[in-house]
Amino acid sequence: MQIDGGLIILLLILLPAIFSGVCQMLRAPLQVLRFCIAGVVLVSIPGLVAVFQVFRKGPLFAAGNWLMLDILSAYHLLIMMMVFTISALFAVGYFREEIDMKEFTIKHARRYGSLWFGALAAMMLVLVSNNLGVMWVGIEATTLITAFLICIHVTPGALEAMWKYLMMCSVGVAAAFTGILLTAASTVPVGIHPTEALLWTNIMNSVSSMDPVLVKAAFIFIVVGYGTKAGLAPMHNWLPDAHSQAPSPVSAIFSGFLLNAALYCILRFLPIVEAVTGNSGWGRDILILFGLLSIVVAAIFIIGQRDVKRMLAYSSVEHIGLIALGVGLGGLGTFAALFHMFNHSLCKSLAFCCAGRVGQAYGSNDMRKTTDILRSMPVLGGGLIGGILALIGVAPFAIFLSEFIILKTAIDSSRYWIAGIYLTGLAVVFVGALRHAIAMAWKPPEEMAPDAPAKICLADAALVVIPLIILLILGLWMPKLLAEFILKASIVLGALS
Amino acid sequence: MNLLTDSILVLLILASFLLLSSSRLSNCIKTVALQGMMVGVLPLAANDSLTCRVTAIALVIAGMKGIVFPYMLFRTLRESTTIKELKPYVGYTASMFAGVVSLVASFWLDSRLHLPVAASSRLVVPVAFSMMLTGIFLIVGRRTAVNQVIGYLVMENGIYTFGLAIVRDVPLLVELGVLMDMFMAVFVMGIAIYRINREFDHIDSDQLNTLKG
Repeated sequence: MQIDGGLIILLLILLPAIFSGVCQMLRAPLQVLRFCIAGVVLVSIPGLVAVFQVFRKGPLFAAGNWLMLDILSAYHLLIMMMVFTISALFAVGYFREEIDMKEFTIKHARRYGSLWFGALAAMMLVLVSNNLGVMWVGIEATTLITAFLICIHVTPGALEAMWKYLMMCSVGVAAAFTGILLTAASTVPVGIHPTEALLWTNIMNSVSSMDPVLVKAAFIFIVVGYGTKAGLAPMHNWLPDAHSQAPSPVSAIFSGFLLNAALYCILRFLPIVEAVTGNSGWGRDILILFGLLSIVVAAIFIIGQRDVKRMLAYSSVEHIGLIALGVGLGGLGTFAALFHMFNHSLCKSLAFCCAGRVGQAYGSNDMRKTTDILRSMPVLGGGLIGGILALIGVAPFAIFLSEFIILKTAIDSSRYWIAGIYLTGLAVVFVGALRHAIAMAWKPPEEMAPDAPAKICLADAALVVIPLIILLILGLWMPKLLAEFILKASIVLGALS
Repeated sequence: MNLLTDSILVLLILASFLLLSSSRLSNCIKTVALQGMMVGVLPLAANDSLTCRVTAIALVIAGMKGIVFPYMLFRTLRESTTIKELKPYVGYTASMFAGVVSLVASFWLDSRLHLPVAASSRLVVPVAFSMMLTGIFLIVGRRTAVNQVIGYLVMENGIYTFGLAIVRDVPLLVELGVLMDMFMAVFVMGIAIYRINREFDHIDSDQLNTLKG
C-alpha cells in the first residue's frame, strides 16, 4: 500500500491546529473535554500510520525535505500520542467536579481546549521538522502556548509559576538559537546552499568538513538552552513551580512530553557533534555531566518535599537526568534511555493525574494532610502510590529494568564513579519518596479524611490499572517489535551501529 | 559603508548603556525601540549589494522591533500604575559598571574565538555579545516585569546581530518564524503582566517569590 508521506505529515500538524480553532465554537465545558478525546484519537490515526510506515520503510519526507519523520521522531511521536491520550481521558474526571462547582466555565474550557491542541500542534512541529530553525520555532511556540495552560485558574501561585516559566524558558531557548546560528556558521566551509544549510539530513551528510570548535561551542549553547526547557539541573528552577501549579492533566503533558520534546532537540544535535569531533565522546560526556547533576539535585530536593506534585516534578528532573545519562553512556545505555523515556512518560502522566484527583478530594497537595489515601480513595490513591513505587524503581516494573541496564552500561565500560554517583542518587530518591509514599498510604489521618469522591466509574479504574499493567508486563517481557523499534532509534543516535 | 555600520554599532552600545542607567520605564521602552530600529536597518548598512529581499526583511524587522513591540509594551504600561523602577536589585551606577565590564569581556571573548565573520565590520560580534549580556543582566537585575521584557528584547537584538555577523543567509521562512515567535512572546508577556498587575496591584516580579523548595 503506497501512502503519500508528505500528506500524512502535513495532516499531523494541521489537524491539531484546526481542532484548536474548533474548541472556540463548542458550547459546553464537558463537550470541549470530550472533543479533546475525540481529537487526540483522530490525530492518532494518521500518527500511527506514519509511525508504521517509518518503521517498515524508513523516513518520510515532506515540503522539500523541510519536514521529516524518521525512526527517532516516530518513537517520540508514539510517546506523545500516549501522553496526550492519557491527559485527555483524565481531564474529564478531573474537571467534572470543577464544572459542577461552576469553577470551570465554558470560557475556561474553550481556552483550555484551544491551548491544549495548540500545544499538540507545536510539539508535532518540533518532531517532524528536519530544519533545525523550524524545530526551534516549534519549541519556542510550545513555551508561549503552554504558559497560559498553567494559569487556567488565575491564582497568585499560578501567575508566579507562569512568569518564571515564561522568562526562564524564553531566555534559555533564545540561548539555544545562538547554538543554531553557530551550527549554521560551521556549515559555511561545506558549501551547502544557505537555505538548505539548517536541514539536519544535510548537516549529517557533511559532518566531515565542519569546524569542530564551532560545533562544540554550538553544542554547549544547545544543551544549556534546550536543557532549560528539558529541566536539566541547574537550569530546572521553573519546573517544580510550573508542574505543581498547573491543573493535573496539564502537569501530565508537561512532565510526560514537554520535557522530552526539548530533550529530543538536544538528542538531534548529539550525532552531529559526535561525528564532527571524531566520536571522541566529548558531547556524550557533557550529557553525562548534566544527567548526573540532575539526579543528585533532584534527590536532595525530594527528601524534604511536602507537596506531592512538587515531589513528582523533582522526580521528572531526576528521570530526565537519567535519560541524558543513559544516552551519554552510549551503546546499550542509549537503548535503555529510550526505553526509559517511554516508561517514565507513561508512569509520570498516570501519577500526576492521580495526584491531582487525590489533591482535589483532600483540598490540598500537602503530603502531611493527604494521608490514609488507600482507604479513603482505593482506586486513585492506589494509582498514585503504585505510580510512585514504579517511578522510584521498585523491582518488577519496567523502570527498574531500564535503570538497571543503564547501571550495567556504566559498570561494563568501567566508569565506576559514574555508577557510584548514579546509584547513590537513586538510593536517596528511593528512600525519600518511599517514606512519603508510606505515610500517604497508611498513616492514620489527623483529621477526618474526606468522603471518597462519589464518582469513581469503571473508566477511572481502567485508566489507573492499564498503565500499571503495561509497566509491569514491560518489566518482565519486552515485545520483539518494541525492542526492534527502540534499537533502530538508538542507531540514529550513533549507538549500537 | 563601513563607517555607517560602525556608527550604528556604537549607537547600539550607547543604547545599552542608557537602558542600564535609566529608571523611567517609558524612557527604557523608547530606548529599546531605538535600538531595535537600528538593529533592523543594520543589514542595509552592512551589505554592499542590496537585494530587494534583504531590504524588505530589514524593513519588516525594523518595524517590528522599533514600532510594534514598543507599542505593545506601552499599552501594557498604561494598564499599570508603575512608571518607575523603584529599587532595582543592582543600583544604576553598579549597572553601568557591569555594562562596561561586559563590553570589555565581549571584546576579549571575540579575540579568543576566531569566528568566521561574514559581516564587513570586526566590531559586530563583540557588540552582539555585549547586547546579549546586557539583556541577561537586565532580566536578572531588575524587579519590574516590564524591565525584564525589555531585557529579553535587548538579548534578542544581540542574538539577531550575532546572526547577521556569522551567518550569511538565514532562510527566509526561519527568519519569519523567529519573528512570529518573538511577536507572540511579547504579546504573551504583555497579557501575563496585565494579569499579574490585576492580581497583585503591581508589576514587581520580586513579589512573585512564594513558591520555593
